[in-house]
Amino acid sequence: MKFRYTLEILTIIAIATFCAIFLYTSSTISGAEFAGSDNIGSRLVMELSGTPEENFQPLIPQWEPPSTEIESCLFAFQAAVGGILVGGVFGYWTGQNKKA
Amino acid sequence: MNELNDPGVFMHIMEGFLPWQWCLVWWIVALPCLIYGVYQLKKILATNREALPLMGVTGGFIFILSSLKLPSVTGSCSHPTGTGLSTISFGPWITAVVCAIVLLFQSLFLAHGGLSVLGANILSMGIVGPLTGYIFYRLLRNTSVNVYLTVFLVTALADMFTYITTSLELALAYPAETGGSASSLIMFLGVFAVTQIPLSIVEGIVLALVFKYIIALKPDILIRLNIFSEEKINVARSEI
Repeated sequence: MKFRYTLEILTIIAIATFCAIFLYTSSTISGAEFAGSDNIGSRLVMELSGTPEENFQPLIPQWEPPSTEIESCLFAFQAAVGGILVGGVFGYWTGQNKKA
Repeated sequence: MNELNDPGVFMHIMEGFLPWQWCLVWWIVALPCLIYGVYQLKKILATNREALPLMGVTGGFIFILSSLKLPSVTGSCSHPTGTGLSTISFGPWITAVVCAIVLLFQSLFLAHGGLSVLGANILSMGIVGPLTGYIFYRLLRNTSVNVYLTVFLVTALADMFTYITTSLELALAYPAETGGSASSLIMFLGVFAVTQIPLSIVEGIVLALVFKYIIALKPDILIRLNIFSEEKINVARSEI
């Protein structure tokens, strides 16, 4: 007999393993900031170019969210747009199947 | 310094971090792909309106997954790209258009990336990553490889190659004093690609699961759009 939930179980195992490794490394890597990898990448750029950070000015001026809270809110908005699209379509398909 | 001005909280290549000459080069490479993507998008919507909901789902996952900043095992954070499903369903060019919308939103409202480096960021996340995934999808589509394994591989590879391309773009702009661009490429890969390995594996498994639900709910659209053969879809339905 085939097991119906193989992929679901695999997903749970993958996410749980990922979380466990994160919890382990966050407690063992001293000074781990868990900032964006782009942070470290940007520091590497400054190192390689020998240019101090203040010399990296935007070529095209850009608006910045006034606080990290507002930034999080806008990220949540982006995720919400995606969530509405996915949920809406899955609901639409489920409705179509029921009707049929 | 405002926390938001600290490069630490940004994703993608930041505004001002590529010399204008490289910004121009990447825009010139990305723009024709985007134009072709818009042409393909219009064509598919004109000929097959049924594709629209599937486009909503696959595009929706790019919106969701690229908004998540996840901690990785290297002590830093990165984000999945979510481009795998769109790549398999609609190819790399339409995926590039969806990615361009997401990246434009992040440039304008989140100061993640920027307008001058948008071409470089579209090239990595929207073009090279999905194109690599698409090549693997075409190679595996007509083989006996399981549908879910195909989705997993395409998704994980599209994610990995996004960050390999970012590393390459930065390495070309900032060659190391000794060893040149090759040497700095290894350094950038150490930062971006290593962080991305666990994230791309998890993303691959999650999107394979999502594909299972698409197959369960709407197998006919996958067959009609010739994404996988009827035989393969039927096998996938009976497998799990």
